[in-house]
Amino acid sequence: MAAIPQDMILELESINKFFGGVHAVRDMSFSIQKGELAGLIGPNGAGKTTIFNLVTGVYSPDSGHITFLGEEITSLKSYQVIRKGVARTFQNLRLFQRSSALENVMVAMQQHHQYSFLEGLSHLGRWSSMEREIKQRSLDILDRVGLIERAHQAAGTLPYGMQRRLEIGRALALEPEFLLLDEPAAGMNPEEVFELNHLIQGIHRDFMLTILVIEHHMDVIMQICPHIICMNFGAKIAEGDPDDIQVHPEVLKAYLGEEVEE
Amino acid sequence: METLLQQTINGLSLGSVYALIAVGYSLVYSILLFSNFAHGGFLVIGGYICYFTLKSLGFNIWIAGFASLVGAGFSAVLTERLAYKPIRERTNVTLYLLIASMGMSIVIENIFVIVAGGRFRALPPVIPTHPVHIFGLATTSAFDILSLLAAVFFLGALQLFLIKTKWGLAIRAAAYDLRTAGLMGVNVNLLISIVFFVAGFLAAVGGIFLSVRYTLYPQLGMITIKAFVAAVIGGLGSLPGAVVGSLILGLAEMLTAGFISSQLRDLVVFSLLIITLLVRPQGLFGKNISEKV
Amino acid sequence: MSGYTEGIIILLCINAIAAMGVSVLTGFTGIFSLGHAGYMAVGAYTTAILTVEYGVHYIPAILLGGAMAMVIAYVIGVPTLKLMGDYYAIASIGLGEAIRLILENWQSVTRGARGYPGIEGYTTLYVSLAFFAVMAFGMFNLINSRFGRAFKACRDDYIAASLLGFNTARYRILSLVISAFYCGVAGALLGGFLSFIQPIMFDMIKSTELTSVVVFGGLGSMSGTLLGASIITLVTELFRPISQYRMLIYGAILVLIMVIRPEGIMGQYELGPRLFRRLKDKFSFRNRDNSEGRSS
Repeated sequence: MAAIPQDMILELESINKFFGGVHAVRDMSFSIQKGELAGLIGPNGAGKTTIFNLVTGVYSPDSGHITFLGEEITSLKSYQVIRKGVARTFQNLRLFQRSSALENVMVAMQQHHQYSFLEGLSHLGRWSSMEREIKQRSLDILDRVGLIERAHQAAGTLPYGMQRRLEIGRALALEPEFLLLDEPAAGMNPEEVFELNHLIQGIHRDFMLTILVIEHHMDVIMQICPHIICMNFGAKIAEGDPDDIQVHPEVLKAYLGEEVEE
Repeated sequence: METLLQQTINGLSLGSVYALIAVGYSLVYSILLFSNFAHGGFLVIGGYICYFTLKSLGFNIWIAGFASLVGAGFSAVLTERLAYKPIRERTNVTLYLLIASMGMSIVIENIFVIVAGGRFRALPPVIPTHPVHIFGLATTSAFDILSLLAAVFFLGALQLFLIKTKWGLAIRAAAYDLRTAGLMGVNVNLLISIVFFVAGFLAAVGGIFLSVRYTLYPQLGMITIKAFVAAVIGGLGSLPGAVVGSLILGLAEMLTAGFISSQLRDLVVFSLLIITLLVRPQGLFGKNISEKV
Repeated sequence: MSGYTEGIIILLCINAIAAMGVSVLTGFTGIFSLGHAGYMAVGAYTTAILTVEYGVHYIPAILLGGAMAMVIAYVIGVPTLKLMGDYYAIASIGLGEAIRLILENWQSVTRGARGYPGIEGYTTLYVSLAFFAVMAFGMFNLINSRFGRAFKACRDDYIAASLLGFNTARYRILSLVISAFYCGVAGALLGGFLSFIQPIMFDMIKSTELTSVVVFGGLGSMSGTLLGASIITLVTELFRPISQYRMLIYGAILVLIMVIRPEGIMGQYELGPRLFRRLKDKFSFRNRDNSEGRSS
């Protein structure tokens, strides 16, 4: 553990969120350190995606603070949070269905290659060199997530598992420091899950990323994440390494239900 | 003071006619989630049926009115079957329905330009328009009072239909979720036809009163823009919203005409729309729509 | 070239410029406007007043007409573009009609509803062709740049777009402002072509026509927009002798397109290698299907 530098990348401090009368997130605090591959688990409806939405500015919390790389991002808008170096995927895929796989990646890649409006209008100046670079680097990403053969296919027509990987590729194109993956294994068969685990571990290593993964399949997370946070009914119920979590009474209760005394 | 009372009554009367149109439009919106721009066409159809029935079958407003309302109702059903049904069965892109409805609106308007000519026609004097004194406080016309009463009657009937009948219940269920209502065994096509019939029927009531107020011409349907505005102010898809929005609009129009300038009344209407949307983007009674991420 | 043919070409250029403006907003950014005739009116009146009252040369006057439309679009766009879908569509009717009503009632400047006569006939064949060429060049470049991709991202999924770091509100405004400039210039050219403008020329029917042209050509296809604008302009000319049927046919076509081919003539594809590749794919798929059919 000593090898990991001890600086926080993300810190949640007593976050609360209400939807009408529903207390969706209660007093949630946790922190993720730079370079970690962490997991966020919990039964359906536990509030995991809400945490992602709070971090990425889709919602703003009713109380509490969110800090990213030492900077307060609690009330920032989504695009501002993303520009600080956060990227995410979605539980219910949000690809640009009609655009090709390549265009899906290019639209994210262009965020780091911003020529001016006049250059866009005239195709003079940096337009051609930057467009070439956007395209080349996007192709590299597609290659990394194993979709280079499908670069020109419309995203909506790709098989489901490929769409999941394309979304990861699109998030990587933002060149983030911190990547949030929302149930990347949902709807995949065991073979695809195996490949996905491999991909996640690979990009974690190669891009020196910090990753937080949501899953409600415990086995996926147990295999790849040394640091796991477990939540239920909007609150954190346990935190630790896979061995701790696997035997934690609260976690077992959340997943298996309350034991009934006879 | 007298002008104020008088313009208030006129405003409520005009607003109640808008309400008849806006409620039908809003009802269609609540089921199919698109702005039916052909709605103004139903009103024009109603107006012309009334006019020609009066001319050919003698001046009996009851017969002519009945023919007009039912005729406009069926035209609305026909419009839906011809233009919207093939689209909604193929895709769920409501934009296509919206554009098709703009096309139908142009078609209906120009059928009347060709068949009946573009000139302005006055409805025979079947609805009394003589002045009425209200407790000596204000003078208004019998027509304004009648249109107010008619609107209250038909809106009340609609409310009863929606609350008391089986189909009313089905329509309210479909407004929450059309697909689910279909899965629960509601005949969706019949339900949509009923909704369009009701929309056309109510639009024709508005059409008759508007053709008495402004005379009848093929472009009279353009006035439904104001009913749309009213429905949006009230909150798209909300029936009470459509009624309240219409009354606000009618009052604003008549008070502007009475106290400021008749030419500015439309400008006031559109400013009201924009201001409402800026303050409350979902309209007064609209549901706050936020997408699930 | 006869005066008649010349007139049609000028009209084609003007309609194409306006249609490109609506296309970038509706086809590429997914914002449905039914008030863009209002921006044409702003361009037309600004240019007319500048040339007639102040003796400004027509070229800067046309550009200022476009710029004025941009300014107005910006001022009303910032608050109203927060509205989504049908709410913006209805609000845009209100905005377009409000512009027309102001022009009708602001007698001292616009000479009111009876129109503004005596505009210099500056829109010659070459002027209109030059404006069209430059503006089409810019528009095609723009949609083939990071801006075009950003617009499409906002159109297809604005939540995903903002979670890819796009300030979607800013791109929506940018798209509106560009589209207002194109419509403003088109209006200015129309004024110089007819030498006379009137508020009623820029009513909701004109706005509807602009949007229908774009839909007809294919939402999200700029070459489709040009094709759509050309077909509609020519068909309109063709049916001029039976003008009372013109609008009827026009409305019926609009319905028919939505029923038969709602994605428009070109779908979202441009005339170019991508369409070619797609057609080729389709064709080769068909061949494969056939051979499979035979082998089994």
